[in-house]
Amino acid sequence: MLEKIKFEKFTAFEKLEVKFSPGINIFVGENGTGKTHILKAAYAACDIAKSKGGFAEKINNVFYPSGKQIGRLVKRSSVSSNGILEVTRKIEDDKKITLRLSLSNHTTKPDKAKISGSPKAWTENPMEAAYIPVKDMMANAPGFRSLYEEREIHFEEIYVDIIRKVFLPLLKGPTDKPRKQLLESLQEAMDGKVVAKNEEFFLRSKHGELEFTLLAEGFRKMGLLWILIQNGTLLNGSVLFWDEPETNLNPRLMKTVVGILLELQRQGVQIFLTTHDYVILKEFDLQAKKDDKILFHSLYRTKDTGEIEVASTDDYLKLSPNAIDDTFGSIVDREIEKSMGSLGK
Amino acid sequence: MKVDTDGFSFDFTDALDAFVFDEKDKTKTTFHGQPMKAVDIVAEFPDAYVFVEMKDFHDPAYYDTKDFNTEEELKAKRSGFKWLKNYLKYKYRDSYLFRHAEHKVEKPIHYICLLTFDNALNTAMCKALQKELPVGPASRRWKQELVKSCAVVNVARWNENFPKWPVSYTPAGAV
Repeated sequence: MLEKIKFEKFTAFEKLEVKFSPGINIFVGENGTGKTHILKAAYAACDIAKSKGGFAEKINNVFYPSGKQIGRLVKRSSVSSNGILEVTRKIEDDKKITLRLSLSNHTTKPDKAKISGSPKAWTENPMEAAYIPVKDMMANAPGFRSLYEEREIHFEEIYVDIIRKVFLPLLKGPTDKPRKQLLESLQEAMDGKVVAKNEEFFLRSKHGELEFTLLAEGFRKMGLLWILIQNGTLLNGSVLFWDEPETNLNPRLMKTVVGILLELQRQGVQIFLTTHDYVILKEFDLQAKKDDKILFHSLYRTKDTGEIEVASTDDYLKLSPNAIDDTFGSIVDREIEKSMGSLGK
Repeated sequence: MKVDTDGFSFDFTDALDAFVFDEKDKTKTTFHGQPMKAVDIVAEFPDAYVFVEMKDFHDPAYYDTKDFNTEEELKAKRSGFKWLKNYLKYKYRDSYLFRHAEHKVEKPIHYICLLTFDNALNTAMCKALQKELPVGPASRRWKQELVKSCAVVNVARWNENFPKWPVSYTPAGAV
Protein backbone atom coordinates (compact mmCIF):
# COMPACT_ATOMS: atom_id res chain seq x y z
CA MET A 1 0.00 0.00 0.00
CA LEU A 2 1.31 3.42 -0.93
CA GLU A 3 1.75 5.78 2.00
CA LYS A 4 2.93 9.04 0.45
CA ILE A 5 4.68 10.69 -2.46
CA LYS A 6 7.09 13.61 -2.47
CA PHE A 7 8.28 15.79 -5.31
CA GLU A 8 11.00 18.41 -5.41
CA LYS A 9 11.57 20.28 -8.65
CA PHE A 10 9.99 17.43 -10.55
CA THR A 11 7.80 18.06 -13.64
CA ALA A 12 5.21 20.67 -12.58
CA PHE A 13 6.03 20.59 -8.88
CA GLU A 14 8.40 22.87 -6.99
CA LYS A 15 7.83 21.04 -3.71
CA LEU A 16 4.88 18.83 -2.90
CA GLU A 17 4.08 16.03 -0.50
CA VAL A 18 0.83 14.07 -0.65
CA LYS A 19 -0.16 11.59 2.05
CA PHE A 20 -2.43 8.89 0.70
CA SER A 21 -5.47 7.15 2.07
CA PRO A 22 -5.11 3.36 2.17
CA GLY A 23 -8.54 3.32 0.48
CA ILE A 24 -9.59 5.75 -2.23
CA ASN A 25 -7.68 8.88 -3.27
CA ILE A 26 -9.51 11.35 -5.49
CA PHE A 27 -7.53 14.14 -7.11
CA VAL A 28 -9.30 17.27 -8.29
CA GLY A 29 -7.84 20.50 -9.64
CA GLU A 30 -7.74 22.62 -12.73
CA ASN A 31 -5.81 21.54 -15.81
CA GLY A 32 -2.06 21.84 -15.32
CA THR A 33 -2.03 21.21 -11.58
CA GLY A 34 -0.27 17.85 -11.95
CA LYS A 35 -3.01 15.34 -11.14
CA THR A 36 -1.94 12.87 -13.81
CA HIS A 37 1.74 13.34 -12.92
CA ILE A 38 1.06 12.13 -9.39
CA LEU A 39 -0.75 9.07 -10.69
CA LYS A 40 1.95 8.25 -13.22
CA ALA A 41 4.80 8.62 -10.72
CA ALA A 42 3.05 6.49 -8.10
CA TYR A 43 2.14 3.91 -10.72
CA ALA A 44 5.73 3.63 -11.98
CA ALA A 45 6.88 2.89 -8.42
CA CYS A 46 4.21 0.19 -8.00
CA ASP A 47 4.94 -1.39 -11.37
CA ILE A 48 8.65 -1.95 -10.80
CA ALA A 49 7.95 -3.69 -7.51
CA LYS A 50 6.67 -6.55 -9.63
CA SER A 51 8.41 -6.13 -13.01
CA LYS A 52 11.73 -5.59 -11.16
CA GLY A 53 12.74 -3.02 -13.76
CA GLY A 54 14.63 0.16 -13.02
CA PHE A 55 12.67 3.00 -11.39
CA ALA A 56 14.31 5.70 -13.50
CA GLU A 57 13.67 3.84 -16.72
CA LYS A 58 10.06 3.17 -15.82
CA ILE A 59 9.52 6.83 -14.96
CA ASN A 60 11.10 7.79 -18.28
CA ASN A 61 8.89 5.40 -20.23
CA VAL A 62 5.72 6.41 -18.40
CA PHE A 63 6.27 10.18 -18.73
CA TYR A 64 7.99 10.01 -22.16
CA PRO A 65 9.86 13.35 -22.20
CA SER A 66 11.04 14.61 -25.58
CA GLY A 67 13.89 12.48 -26.97
CA LYS A 68 13.46 10.31 -23.85
CA GLN A 69 15.90 12.63 -22.07
CA ILE A 70 15.01 11.97 -18.46
CA GLY A 71 16.59 15.27 -17.33
CA ARG A 72 13.68 17.04 -18.99
CA LEU A 73 11.51 15.80 -16.11
CA VAL A 74 13.30 18.20 -13.76
CA LYS A 75 11.16 21.30 -13.28
CA ARG A 76 12.19 23.96 -15.77
CA SER A 77 14.33 26.72 -14.37
CA SER A 78 16.83 29.25 -15.67
CA VAL A 79 19.67 27.63 -13.71
CA SER A 80 20.88 24.04 -13.37
CA SER A 81 18.77 22.17 -10.89
CA ASN A 82 18.16 18.80 -9.32
CA GLY A 83 14.86 17.03 -9.05
CA ILE A 84 13.66 14.42 -6.58
CA LEU A 85 10.79 11.97 -6.64
CA GLU A 86 10.18 9.88 -3.56
CA VAL A 87 7.55 7.22 -2.94
CA THR A 88 6.92 5.56 0.42
CA ARG A 89 4.92 2.39 0.90
CA LYS A 90 3.93 0.10 3.71
CA ILE A 91 4.89 -3.55 3.49
CA GLU A 92 4.29 -6.38 5.95
CA ASP A 93 4.16 -5.61 9.68
CA ASP A 94 3.55 -1.94 8.90
CA LYS A 95 7.17 -1.53 7.89
CA LYS A 96 7.72 1.51 5.70
CA ILE A 97 10.14 1.57 2.78
CA THR A 98 11.04 4.44 0.50
CA LEU A 99 12.31 4.70 -3.04
CA ARG A 100 13.96 7.89 -4.18
CA LEU A 101 14.89 9.00 -7.68
CA SER A 102 17.28 11.97 -7.94
CA LEU A 103 18.35 13.52 -11.17
CA SER A 104 19.55 16.79 -12.65
CA ASN A 105 18.31 18.59 -15.71
CA HIS A 106 21.57 17.52 -17.37
CA THR A 107 20.89 13.82 -16.82
CA THR A 108 20.27 12.39 -20.28
CA LYS A 109 19.87 8.68 -19.63
CA PRO A 110 17.91 6.86 -16.91
CA ASP A 111 20.97 4.83 -15.83
CA LYS A 112 22.69 8.09 -14.86
CA ALA A 113 19.89 9.00 -12.44
CA LYS A 114 20.39 8.05 -8.81
CA ILE A 115 18.15 5.57 -7.00
CA SER A 116 18.32 5.45 -3.22
CA GLY A 117 16.31 4.30 -0.23
CA SER A 118 15.30 0.63 -0.26
CA PRO A 119 15.30 -0.48 -3.92
CA LYS A 120 16.09 -4.06 -2.91
CA ALA A 121 13.27 -4.41 -0.38
CA TRP A 122 11.03 -2.64 -2.89
CA THR A 123 11.31 -5.40 -5.50
CA GLU A 124 11.41 -8.16 -2.92
CA ASN A 125 7.86 -7.17 -2.02
CA PRO A 126 6.00 -7.21 -5.31
CA MET A 127 2.61 -5.57 -5.74
CA GLU A 128 0.03 -5.64 -8.50
CA ALA A 129 -0.95 -2.34 -10.12
CA ALA A 130 -3.02 -1.25 -13.10
CA TYR A 131 -3.25 2.18 -14.72
CA ILE A 132 -6.32 3.01 -16.79
CA PRO A 133 -5.46 5.96 -19.04
CA VAL A 134 -7.96 8.53 -20.31
CA LYS A 135 -7.88 7.12 -23.83
CA ASP A 136 -9.35 3.68 -24.36
CA MET A 137 -6.83 1.10 -25.59
CA MET A 138 -8.99 -2.02 -25.66
CA ALA A 139 -10.17 -1.44 -29.23
CA ASN A 140 -6.57 -0.90 -30.37
CA ALA A 141 -5.18 -3.93 -28.60
CA PRO A 142 -4.64 -6.22 -31.62
CA GLY A 143 -1.00 -5.97 -32.62
CA PHE A 144 -0.29 -2.99 -30.38
CA ARG A 145 1.79 -4.95 -27.89
CA SER A 146 4.06 -6.47 -30.53
CA LEU A 147 4.37 -3.15 -32.33
CA TYR A 148 5.44 -1.49 -29.09
CA GLU A 149 8.02 -4.22 -28.35
CA GLU A 150 9.53 -4.13 -31.84
CA ARG A 151 9.46 -0.48 -32.83
CA GLU A 152 10.10 2.83 -31.12
CA ILE A 153 6.59 4.29 -31.15
CA HIS A 154 5.68 7.50 -29.45
CA PHE A 155 3.40 6.19 -26.72
CA GLU A 156 3.70 6.51 -22.97
CA GLU A 157 4.22 3.04 -21.54
CA ILE A 158 0.98 3.19 -19.54
CA TYR A 159 -0.87 2.46 -22.80
CA VAL A 160 0.96 -0.78 -23.51
CA ASP A 161 1.01 -1.74 -19.82
CA ILE A 162 -2.77 -1.77 -19.61
CA ILE A 163 -2.97 -3.96 -22.70
CA ARG A 164 -0.45 -6.33 -21.13
CA LYS A 165 -2.68 -6.51 -18.05
CA VAL A 166 -5.82 -7.38 -19.96
CA PHE A 167 -4.11 -10.31 -21.62
CA LEU A 168 -3.06 -11.84 -18.33
CA PRO A 169 -4.45 -15.35 -17.96
CA LEU A 170 -7.38 -16.03 -15.67
CA LEU A 171 -6.84 -16.77 -12.00
CA LYS A 172 -6.90 -20.43 -11.15
CA GLY A 173 -9.79 -21.75 -9.09
CA PRO A 174 -13.36 -20.55 -8.73
CA THR A 175 -14.18 -16.85 -8.61
CA ASP A 176 -14.86 -15.82 -5.02
CA LYS A 177 -18.25 -14.40 -4.10
CA PRO A 178 -17.41 -10.69 -3.72
CA ARG A 179 -15.58 -10.68 -7.06
CA LYS A 180 -18.49 -12.47 -8.68
CA GLN A 181 -20.89 -9.82 -7.42
CA LEU A 182 -18.75 -7.05 -8.86
CA LEU A 183 -18.56 -8.80 -12.22
CA GLU A 184 -22.31 -9.28 -12.21
CA SER A 185 -23.08 -5.64 -11.54
CA LEU A 186 -20.73 -4.63 -14.38
CA GLN A 187 -22.36 -7.19 -16.67
CA GLU A 188 -25.74 -5.75 -15.82
CA ALA A 189 -24.57 -2.22 -16.67
CA MET A 190 -22.88 -3.32 -19.93
CA ASP A 191 -25.58 -5.84 -20.75
CA GLY A 192 -23.00 -8.51 -21.48
CA LYS A 193 -19.57 -9.88 -20.69
CA VAL A 194 -16.20 -9.49 -22.36
CA VAL A 195 -14.52 -12.20 -24.42
CA ALA A 196 -11.15 -12.10 -26.17
CA LYS A 197 -10.30 -13.82 -29.46
CA ASN A 198 -6.87 -13.45 -31.01
CA GLU A 199 -6.13 -10.25 -29.09
CA GLU A 200 -9.46 -8.77 -30.18
CA PHE A 201 -12.18 -8.00 -27.65
CA PHE A 202 -15.91 -8.53 -28.00
CA LEU A 203 -18.89 -7.81 -25.79
CA ARG A 204 -20.97 -10.94 -25.67
CA SER A 205 -24.65 -10.34 -24.97
CA LYS A 206 -27.85 -12.15 -25.79
CA HIS A 207 -27.87 -10.30 -29.11
CA GLY A 208 -24.51 -11.76 -30.14
CA GLU A 209 -20.89 -10.58 -30.07
CA LEU A 210 -19.96 -6.98 -30.76
CA GLU A 211 -16.34 -6.05 -31.43
CA PHE A 212 -14.92 -3.30 -29.20
CA THR A 213 -14.25 -1.02 -32.17
CA LEU A 214 -18.02 -0.82 -32.64
CA LEU A 215 -18.78 -0.44 -28.95
CA ALA A 216 -19.44 2.86 -27.17
CA GLU A 217 -16.24 4.04 -25.44
CA GLY A 218 -17.96 4.13 -22.06
CA PHE A 219 -18.73 0.42 -22.29
CA ARG A 220 -15.13 -0.29 -23.36
CA LYS A 221 -13.98 1.24 -20.07
CA MET A 222 -16.42 -0.84 -18.09
CA GLY A 223 -15.27 -3.87 -20.06
CA LEU A 224 -11.70 -3.11 -19.09
CA LEU A 225 -12.66 -2.93 -15.43
CA TRP A 226 -14.52 -6.22 -15.82
CA ILE A 227 -11.40 -7.92 -17.21
CA LEU A 228 -9.11 -6.53 -14.51
CA ILE A 229 -11.46 -7.87 -11.83
CA GLN A 230 -11.97 -11.17 -13.61
CA ASN A 231 -8.30 -11.93 -14.20
CA GLY A 232 -7.40 -11.14 -10.61
CA THR A 233 -5.34 -7.99 -11.27
CA LEU A 234 -7.49 -6.13 -8.76
CA LEU A 235 -7.23 -8.19 -5.59
CA ASN A 236 -6.46 -7.36 -1.98
CA GLY A 237 -3.17 -5.46 -1.84
CA SER A 238 -3.26 -4.25 -5.44
CA VAL A 239 -3.41 -0.66 -6.60
CA LEU A 240 -5.68 0.81 -9.26
CA PHE A 241 -4.94 4.13 -10.97
CA TRP A 242 -7.70 5.61 -13.11
CA ASP A 243 -7.25 8.89 -14.95
CA GLU A 244 -10.60 10.66 -15.44
CA PRO A 245 -13.02 7.72 -15.20
CA GLU A 246 -15.82 10.01 -16.37
CA THR A 247 -14.42 10.30 -19.90
CA ASN A 248 -16.97 8.90 -22.35
CA LEU A 249 -18.99 7.46 -19.51
CA ASN A 250 -22.68 8.32 -19.34
CA PRO A 251 -23.37 9.96 -15.93
CA ARG A 252 -25.93 7.24 -15.21
CA LEU A 253 -23.20 4.58 -15.41
CA MET A 254 -21.14 6.55 -12.90
CA LYS A 255 -23.31 5.24 -10.10
CA THR A 256 -22.31 1.66 -10.96
CA VAL A 257 -18.64 2.52 -11.44
CA VAL A 258 -18.38 4.37 -8.13
CA GLY A 259 -20.20 1.53 -6.37
CA ILE A 260 -17.67 -0.93 -7.78
CA LEU A 261 -14.69 1.22 -6.83
CA LEU A 262 -15.99 1.50 -3.26
CA GLU A 263 -16.45 -2.26 -3.12
CA LEU A 264 -12.94 -2.90 -4.50
CA GLN A 265 -11.61 -0.61 -1.77
CA ARG A 266 -13.51 -2.61 0.85
CA GLN A 267 -11.77 -5.70 -0.54
CA GLY A 268 -8.36 -4.09 0.02
CA VAL A 269 -7.58 -2.44 -3.32
CA GLN A 270 -5.97 0.99 -2.99
CA ILE A 271 -7.40 3.36 -5.58
CA PHE A 272 -6.20 6.61 -7.16
CA LEU A 273 -8.48 8.69 -9.39
CA THR A 274 -8.38 12.05 -11.06
CA THR A 275 -11.62 13.76 -11.98
CA HIS A 276 -13.20 16.92 -13.33
CA ASP A 277 -16.67 15.59 -12.76
CA TYR A 278 -19.23 16.70 -10.19
CA VAL A 279 -21.29 13.52 -10.41
CA ILE A 280 -18.28 11.33 -9.53
CA LEU A 281 -17.45 13.44 -6.49
CA LYS A 282 -21.06 13.44 -5.32
CA GLU A 283 -21.44 9.70 -5.94
CA PHE A 284 -18.52 9.03 -3.61
CA ASP A 285 -19.95 11.45 -1.10
CA LEU A 286 -23.36 9.78 -1.24
CA GLN A 287 -22.44 6.12 -1.56
CA ALA A 288 -19.59 6.01 0.95
CA LYS A 289 -20.25 4.16 4.17
CA LYS A 290 -18.84 4.97 7.57
CA ASP A 291 -15.77 2.72 7.37
CA ASP A 292 -14.82 3.62 3.80
CA LYS A 293 -11.53 5.44 3.58
CA ILE A 294 -11.86 8.23 1.03
CA LEU A 295 -9.51 11.17 0.78
CA PHE A 296 -10.18 14.08 -1.56
CA HIS A 297 -6.98 15.84 -2.68
CA SER A 298 -7.38 19.31 -4.16
CA LEU A 299 -4.40 20.50 -6.21
CA TYR A 300 -4.16 24.22 -6.80
CA ARG A 301 -1.68 26.95 -7.63
CA THR A 302 -1.08 29.46 -4.84
CA LYS A 303 -1.90 33.06 -5.66
CA ASP A 304 1.43 34.46 -4.49
CA THR A 305 4.02 32.03 -5.89
CA GLY A 306 1.99 30.24 -8.57
CA GLU A 307 3.37 26.91 -7.34
CA ILE A 308 1.24 23.81 -6.92
CA GLU A 309 0.02 22.86 -3.46
CA VAL A 310 -2.37 20.27 -2.12
CA ALA A 311 -5.21 20.34 0.40
CA SER A 312 -6.57 16.95 1.45
CA THR A 313 -9.78 16.19 3.32
CA ASP A 314 -12.01 13.21 3.99
CA ASP A 315 -15.12 15.41 4.04
CA TYR A 316 -16.44 16.29 0.58
CA LEU A 317 -18.09 19.47 1.81
CA LYS A 318 -14.79 20.70 3.25
CA LEU A 319 -12.94 20.18 -0.03
CA SER A 320 -11.41 23.54 -0.80
CA PRO A 321 -10.53 24.84 -3.29
CA ASN A 322 -12.96 22.68 -5.24
CA ALA A 323 -12.31 23.49 -8.91
CA ILE A 324 -15.42 21.57 -9.97
CA ASP A 325 -17.89 23.25 -7.62
CA ASP A 326 -16.19 26.62 -8.14
CA THR A 327 -17.25 26.37 -11.79
CA PHE A 328 -20.86 26.12 -10.65
CA GLY A 329 -20.11 28.99 -8.26
CA SER A 330 -19.02 31.17 -11.14
CA ILE A 331 -22.31 30.39 -12.90
CA VAL A 332 -24.17 31.48 -9.74
CA ASP A 333 -22.12 34.70 -9.66
CA ARG A 334 -22.80 35.56 -13.28
CA GLU A 335 -26.50 34.89 -12.87
CA ILE A 336 -26.68 37.20 -9.83
CA GLU A 337 -24.70 39.87 -11.65
CA LYS A 338 -27.10 39.64 -14.58
CA SER A 339 -30.29 39.77 -12.51
CA MET A 340 -29.33 42.01 -9.57
CA GLY A 341 -26.74 44.33 -11.09
CA SER A 342 -24.89 46.33 -8.45
CA LEU A 343 -27.25 45.56 -5.53
CA GLY A 344 -25.23 44.66 -2.43
CA LYS A 345 -21.91 45.42 -4.15
CA MET B 1 -28.33 47.71 9.56
CA LYS B 2 -27.86 44.48 11.51
CA VAL B 3 -30.27 41.56 11.57
CA ASP B 4 -29.69 38.43 13.64
CA THR B 5 -31.93 35.39 13.26
CA ASP B 6 -31.65 31.58 13.35
CA GLY B 7 -27.89 31.68 13.88
CA PHE B 8 -27.30 33.98 10.88
CA SER B 9 -25.91 37.49 11.43
CA PHE B 10 -26.37 39.95 8.58
CA ASP B 11 -25.23 43.51 8.21
CA PHE B 12 -27.07 45.28 5.38
CA THR B 13 -24.74 48.27 5.43
CA ASP B 14 -26.53 50.28 2.71
CA ALA B 15 -30.14 49.33 3.55
CA LEU B 16 -32.93 51.85 4.29
CA ASP B 17 -34.58 49.22 6.41
CA ALA B 18 -34.01 45.55 7.27
CA PHE B 19 -35.98 43.42 9.72
CA VAL B 20 -37.03 39.92 10.67
CA PHE B 21 -40.16 39.45 8.58
CA ASP B 22 -41.62 36.44 10.39
CA GLU B 23 -41.36 38.33 13.69
CA LYS B 24 -43.01 36.42 16.51
CA ASP B 25 -42.59 39.07 19.20
CA LYS B 26 -45.96 40.78 19.62
CA THR B 27 -44.41 43.88 21.17
CA LYS B 28 -42.50 44.71 17.99
CA THR B 29 -43.95 46.91 15.26
CA THR B 30 -42.87 44.31 12.70
CA PHE B 31 -44.91 41.52 14.37
CA HIS B 32 -46.22 39.22 11.61
CA GLY B 33 -49.03 37.31 13.38
CA GLN B 34 -50.91 36.01 10.32
CA PRO B 35 -51.57 32.37 9.34
CA MET B 36 -49.33 32.80 6.31
CA LYS B 37 -45.87 31.56 5.51
CA ALA B 38 -43.19 34.21 5.81
CA VAL B 39 -39.61 34.66 4.58
CA ASP B 40 -37.03 35.29 7.29
CA ILE B 41 -35.86 38.80 6.38
CA VAL B 42 -37.02 41.74 4.32
CA ALA B 43 -34.53 44.48 3.45
CA GLU B 44 -35.35 47.71 1.68
CA PHE B 45 -33.03 49.66 -0.62
CA PRO B 46 -33.65 52.85 -2.63
CA ASP B 47 -34.64 50.94 -5.77
CA ALA B 48 -35.44 47.44 -4.59
CA TYR B 49 -36.63 45.11 -1.87
CA VAL B 50 -34.71 41.95 -1.02
CA PHE B 51 -36.44 38.96 0.58
CA VAL B 52 -34.11 36.50 2.29
CA GLU B 53 -34.89 32.95 3.36
CA MET B 54 -32.27 30.85 5.17
CA LYS B 55 -32.20 27.12 5.73
CA ASP B 56 -29.55 24.87 7.22
CA PHE B 57 -29.86 21.26 6.18
CA HIS B 58 -28.12 18.55 8.08
CA ASP B 59 -27.95 16.29 5.06
CA PRO B 60 -27.84 18.06 1.71
CA ALA B 61 -27.53 14.64 0.03
CA TYR B 62 -31.18 14.08 0.84
CA TYR B 63 -32.14 16.67 -1.75
CA ASP B 64 -29.67 15.72 -4.49
CA THR B 65 -31.73 14.16 -7.27
CA LYS B 66 -28.74 13.63 -9.56
CA ASP B 67 -27.47 10.79 -7.40
CA PHE B 68 -29.59 7.81 -6.62
CA ASN B 69 -29.24 4.04 -6.39
CA THR B 70 -32.78 2.80 -6.70
CA GLU B 71 -35.95 4.17 -8.19
CA GLU B 72 -37.41 4.36 -4.68
CA GLU B 73 -34.47 6.44 -3.53
CA LEU B 74 -34.88 8.76 -6.48
CA LYS B 75 -38.58 9.06 -5.68
CA ALA B 76 -37.84 9.88 -2.07
CA LYS B 77 -35.19 12.40 -3.10
CA ARG B 78 -37.46 13.94 -5.69
CA SER B 79 -40.05 14.38 -2.98
CA GLY B 80 -37.35 15.88 -0.71
CA PHE B 81 -36.21 18.25 -3.44
CA LYS B 82 -39.81 19.04 -4.34
CA TRP B 83 -40.71 19.61 -0.72
CA LEU B 84 -37.90 22.11 -0.32
CA LYS B 85 -38.69 23.83 -3.60
CA ASN B 86 -42.35 24.19 -2.63
CA TYR B 87 -41.38 25.36 0.84
CA LEU B 88 -39.22 28.13 -0.65
CA LYS B 89 -41.79 28.96 -3.31
CA TYR B 90 -44.83 29.31 -1.03
CA LYS B 91 -42.85 31.25 1.56
CA TYR B 92 -42.15 33.83 -1.09
CA ARG B 93 -45.68 33.97 -2.47
CA ASP B 94 -47.30 34.39 0.97
CA SER B 95 -44.76 37.04 1.88
CA TYR B 96 -45.54 38.86 -1.36
CA LEU B 97 -49.27 38.81 -0.52
CA PHE B 98 -48.59 40.16 2.96
CA ARG B 99 -46.45 42.95 1.53
CA HIS B 100 -49.09 43.64 -1.14
CA ALA B 101 -51.60 44.23 1.64
CA GLU B 102 -49.09 46.60 3.21
CA HIS B 103 -48.74 48.47 -0.09
CA LYS B 104 -45.08 47.59 -0.05
CA VAL B 105 -44.55 45.97 -3.44
CA GLU B 106 -43.93 49.14 -5.41
CA LYS B 107 -40.25 48.37 -6.03
CA PRO B 108 -38.81 45.31 -7.76
CA ILE B 109 -38.29 42.42 -5.32
CA HIS B 110 -35.28 40.10 -5.38
CA TYR B 111 -35.55 36.77 -3.57
CA ILE B 112 -32.38 35.19 -2.19
CA CYS B 113 -32.34 31.77 -0.55
CA LEU B 114 -29.34 31.07 1.63
CA LEU B 115 -28.92 27.30 1.80
CA THR B 116 -26.13 25.05 3.05
CA PHE B 117 -25.77 23.22 -0.29
CA ASP B 118 -22.80 23.21 -2.63
CA ASN B 119 -22.99 25.47 -5.69
CA ALA B 120 -24.02 22.67 -8.04
CA LEU B 121 -27.06 21.76 -5.96
CA ASN B 122 -27.89 25.43 -5.49
CA THR B 123 -27.97 26.01 -9.26
CA ALA B 124 -30.41 23.10 -9.64
CA MET B 125 -32.68 24.55 -6.93
CA CYS B 126 -32.41 28.04 -8.42
CA LYS B 127 -33.49 26.85 -11.87
CA ALA B 128 -36.56 25.09 -10.42
CA LEU B 129 -37.54 28.11 -8.33
CA GLN B 130 -37.11 30.62 -11.16
CA LYS B 131 -39.50 28.59 -13.25
CA GLU B 132 -42.13 28.15 -10.59
CA LEU B 133 -42.20 31.38 -8.62
CA PRO B 134 -42.20 32.48 -11.51
CA VAL B 135 -39.47 35.07 -12.06
CA GLY B 136 -40.01 38.05 -14.36
CA PRO B 137 -42.97 39.05 -16.55
CA ALA B 138 -44.24 35.47 -16.79
CA SER B 139 -47.73 36.15 -18.14
CA ARG B 140 -48.66 38.46 -20.99
CA ARG B 141 -51.59 39.62 -18.86
CA TRP B 142 -49.39 40.78 -15.99
CA LYS B 143 -48.75 44.48 -15.47
CA GLN B 144 -46.29 43.81 -12.67
CA GLU B 145 -43.71 41.15 -11.86
CA LEU B 146 -44.18 38.98 -8.77
CA VAL B 147 -40.44 38.71 -8.36
CA LYS B 148 -37.63 40.37 -10.28
CA SER B 149 -34.98 37.73 -9.68
CA CYS B 150 -34.23 34.68 -7.59
CA ALA B 151 -30.84 33.42 -6.44
CA VAL B 152 -29.88 30.40 -4.35
CA VAL B 153 -26.49 30.70 -2.66
CA ASN B 154 -24.43 29.33 0.22
CA VAL B 155 -22.72 31.57 2.79
CA ALA B 156 -19.43 31.72 0.83
CA ARG B 157 -21.21 32.70 -2.40
CA TRP B 158 -23.36 35.26 -0.56
CA ASN B 159 -20.32 37.02 0.85
CA GLU B 160 -18.60 36.90 -2.52
CA ASN B 161 -21.56 38.47 -4.32
CA PHE B 162 -22.86 40.90 -1.69
CA PRO B 163 -19.85 42.53 -0.01
CA LYS B 164 -22.09 45.31 1.33
CA TRP B 165 -24.25 42.74 3.15
CA PRO B 166 -21.78 40.50 5.00
CA VAL B 167 -23.25 37.42 6.70
CA SER B 168 -21.84 34.97 9.21
CA TYR B 169 -23.39 31.76 10.42
CA THR B 170 -23.07 29.91 13.69
CA PRO B 171 -25.03 26.63 13.58
CA ALA B 172 -27.18 25.86 16.60
CA GLY B 173 -25.18 24.04 19.25
CA ALA B 174 -21.84 25.40 18.04
CA VAL B 175 -19.78 27.24 20.61
